[in-house]
Amino acid sequence: MSYITILYSVLAVIATLILAIVIGMLLPGIERKYVQARIQQRIGPPVTSPGIMAPIKFFFKENVMPNSPVPGLYKSLPIICFIVVILILLALMPQIYSFGAFTSIIAIIGFLKVEEVAYVLMGALSKSVMSLGLPFPDIVKGATHPNVERSYIEDLSSNRAFRLIAFGSFPLYLALFIPVAITGSVFLGDIVAFQQANGPFILTLGGAIGTIVFFIGYMILLNEYPFAILKTKADVIEGPYMEYASKYRSFVYLTRGFLMFTLGALFSVLFIGIPPNIFSWGILVNIAVAIIFPVLMGIMSAFSPVFTYKQFYPVVVSTSLLGVLAIVIGLLI
Amino acid sequence: MSLKSFSRARAVHLMLVYTGGCNGCDIEIVNCVLSPKFDAEQYKVFLTWNPREADVLVVTGPVTRFNEEPLKKIYEAIPEPKAVVAAGACALMGGVYKNIHGDIPSEEIMGPVENIIPVDAKVPGCAVRPQDILSGVVAALPKLLNAD
Amino acid sequence: MTEEKKSKKQEVIETEVALGTVHPAALEPYRVRLFVEDEIVKDAEITIGVNHRGIERIMEGLPVEKANALTEKVCGICSNAHIWNSVLVAEKGLQIEIPERANYIRIITEELERLHSHFLYLAHGSEVLGQETFSMRAFYLRETAMELLRMIGGNRVQYGVSIIGGVRPRCELNEMRIQKIAEGMETIEEGLLKFADRFVSDPMIMSRITGVGQISKKDAKRLEVTGPSLRATGVAQDLRTTMKEYEPFDFDVITQDDGDVKSNILMRALEIPESVKIIRQAIKNIPEGPIVDRSWEMFDCDMIQSYIEVPRGTLYHSYGIEDGRLRGSIIRTPSMSNIGAMQYACIGNHVTDAQLCIVQCDPCFTCTDRAIEIIDSNSSNSSNNSNNTNIINISNSSTNNSNINGNSNGNESNIANINGSSNNNAINDNISNISN
Repeated sequence: MSYITILYSVLAVIATLILAIVIGMLLPGIERKYVQARIQQRIGPPVTSPGIMAPIKFFFKENVMPNSPVPGLYKSLPIICFIVVILILLALMPQIYSFGAFTSIIAIIGFLKVEEVAYVLMGALSKSVMSLGLPFPDIVKGATHPNVERSYIEDLSSNRAFRLIAFGSFPLYLALFIPVAITGSVFLGDIVAFQQANGPFILTLGGAIGTIVFFIGYMILLNEYPFAILKTKADVIEGPYMEYASKYRSFVYLTRGFLMFTLGALFSVLFIGIPPNIFSWGILVNIAVAIIFPVLMGIMSAFSPVFTYKQFYPVVVSTSLLGVLAIVIGLLI
Repeated sequence: MSLKSFSRARAVHLMLVYTGGCNGCDIEIVNCVLSPKFDAEQYKVFLTWNPREADVLVVTGPVTRFNEEPLKKIYEAIPEPKAVVAAGACALMGGVYKNIHGDIPSEEIMGPVENIIPVDAKVPGCAVRPQDILSGVVAALPKLLNAD
Repeated sequence: MTEEKKSKKQEVIETEVALGTVHPAALEPYRVRLFVEDEIVKDAEITIGVNHRGIERIMEGLPVEKANALTEKVCGICSNAHIWNSVLVAEKGLQIEIPERANYIRIITEELERLHSHFLYLAHGSEVLGQETFSMRAFYLRETAMELLRMIGGNRVQYGVSIIGGVRPRCELNEMRIQKIAEGMETIEEGLLKFADRFVSDPMIMSRITGVGQISKKDAKRLEVTGPSLRATGVAQDLRTTMKEYEPFDFDVITQDDGDVKSNILMRALEIPESVKIIRQAIKNIPEGPIVDRSWEMFDCDMIQSYIEVPRGTLYHSYGIEDGRLRGSIIRTPSMSNIGAMQYACIGNHVTDAQLCIVQCDPCFTCTDRAIEIIDSNSSNSSNNSNNTNIINISNSSTNNSNINGNSNGNESNIANINGSSNNNAINDNISNISN
């Protein structure tokens, strides 16, 4: 490789990352203003408020010490999540495909697992003022079970995050393996090359089923209603994010929008065969997918209540079965 | 206008604490946030229930004895800069509960809110109207915008 | 029966999750302790008393008219019910016959209040379910009722319609107002039908609420559930059928069978058309004449009691009159007797459903927190002696036979003793607490 190609690649990667962050910052606003507010027949917030202005505002707030047994680890978790999402996006870019195992499905699944494990740790480490922290004499004369161990609400959401690792991520991971089943290779470069030769998977039967499975998995990973049991307002208020303030909260906000874009890009790599690259027109497809998914998600979440396990398990099981079916179709054809 | 105040004016997170009023103000405030008729989000005011996320604390009610400590704790949990809006007659002067018998104060009422935490904006009314809540939050904004 | 079995299984409790006193699903300040095992609620305890403001103590010795106005401040949601019942107490004692037109206006206000309370229930229930869109829709429909109430009473909350002898002159219904009420009823009925259609045909919502927080008919009677929550279990008990104020009106008592969240929500949704029906009859047949009769005379009377049916159940007010001043007021709000049901409904459900089970009984703890001491009959083994006597602690077994003992004189009357067994020390504590 000549010097100028490397320079171009580095430029392309940086420019794509910046574009991804900008689009990712707009996505929560688009979801809130143009989808949910429209369904709810109200005006809704400005597009820039939830995604761009809120993180900037939090960035300038006082940096309070979180109420946590290990504040250092707790504070570093959103930054780790953010870096992991950047790594996933890097792995998707065509300039990086020569790095071998880093750009395989296995690596992406590993990175996504980090994201999920972070929720467990966040929940376990956060000790918010909102439940046990509020001083109130509730264990008084006549109280039932006065000697029971008491836990914070975030412990509850930590338990839930743990369960979600066990079953919640099945649909997404199965969907990621559908292209592998069709192509016979775990490397993204091969998957993209195969699709550019034989047409996108989304037009085949297996790919079409895989799209549905991927979308459900996408919603579960983003903890959006109806799959928001991790952070539902009805009991755990905000779940693992309870104690984040100032810069760390702005990282939480940024990571969410960025993850939305990254998963959209992942979908367009795996099912349409167009990697995110700012120097080709294909980036428009990436952006379109990254916007269409949150819009669909906004419609879904505006019309659904939060699922408890009673509803969660059947949805996950049936989508996983669909995913298995798609893989079988992919292997047979 | 610096980026700091520009962003602060465009994303205001509001937290509500009810300290033992009659529910009238409380429902009106929830109404002002959730009802499409008032829709606080169009004025860039977002409802949150997490003190770490909040900028503006709206307090209603006369602060009964068992609400005093939780209110202080929640106020302390909010990172600077923060503003407090006291909404309703009870939050402003204890309402009918504090001083009904002339000089004999009620033992139960620790309020008004000013006695417990510093108040930046006061919204009168029994019960407050949803529109007044929004203007009260706006009245408290300069404190946020001009802070460091 | 089943409940006693449930509460005896104490050894398996894994941990306790305390929600409140500030919580998004609760809105009002109270603490609920959920005893959880594998995210399933094994036992629940609601601790109220946070809102205690001592309003009955404040009312003591006030002129009756002033005290009546003060009862509105018991609750901001069903404020008209409180002032109406308080006025009814005085009218019963002083033997005042109010003009027919005044009664009609009171009924219209009360039914409008029922509408807004039921819409609030639907909105809050949807919010706790996580369904923001339905919640906003219900709040939007509620605005119509609120605006009509503002038109009649002059304020969106606490309208102060009833006075002794009739209604306030400002609440006179002229042609324009009657026209507006008729239009509002159209809007509400149409909107509600659409809303209810969408609600019951949504499979996700129905799977969330069906079979959750079930209370059987027998348990409901044992736990002394009242109001729509009782009717949702299949007991057709509605005080409106026996109240003489409601005699001119024709309406049905709605019941549901299951006693779960679905029945409770349907119950409220189906009661709204009944209220609309009553309001339509009222504005159609409203008689001409004066709206207030000021020719009554004040004299002393003993404890007078009055029960009415309010949006959340049976409301009880009682006081005596001495020199035109009020003595020994007792207020018992419907949420008081529903607390047992709220705790009971939580048991066996997921933690996320627990708040829903509490909300299904339409709690209004702000009304309920007054000078009340409830003594748990099993309290002898409790370890933690606290000096906070205003805290109300009801364990599941303590609401079995709720009866109200109120003494008719002075401060002692502020103590409603639920569960019969009276513990004198606790009562004395409370008295000293009130009077010092």
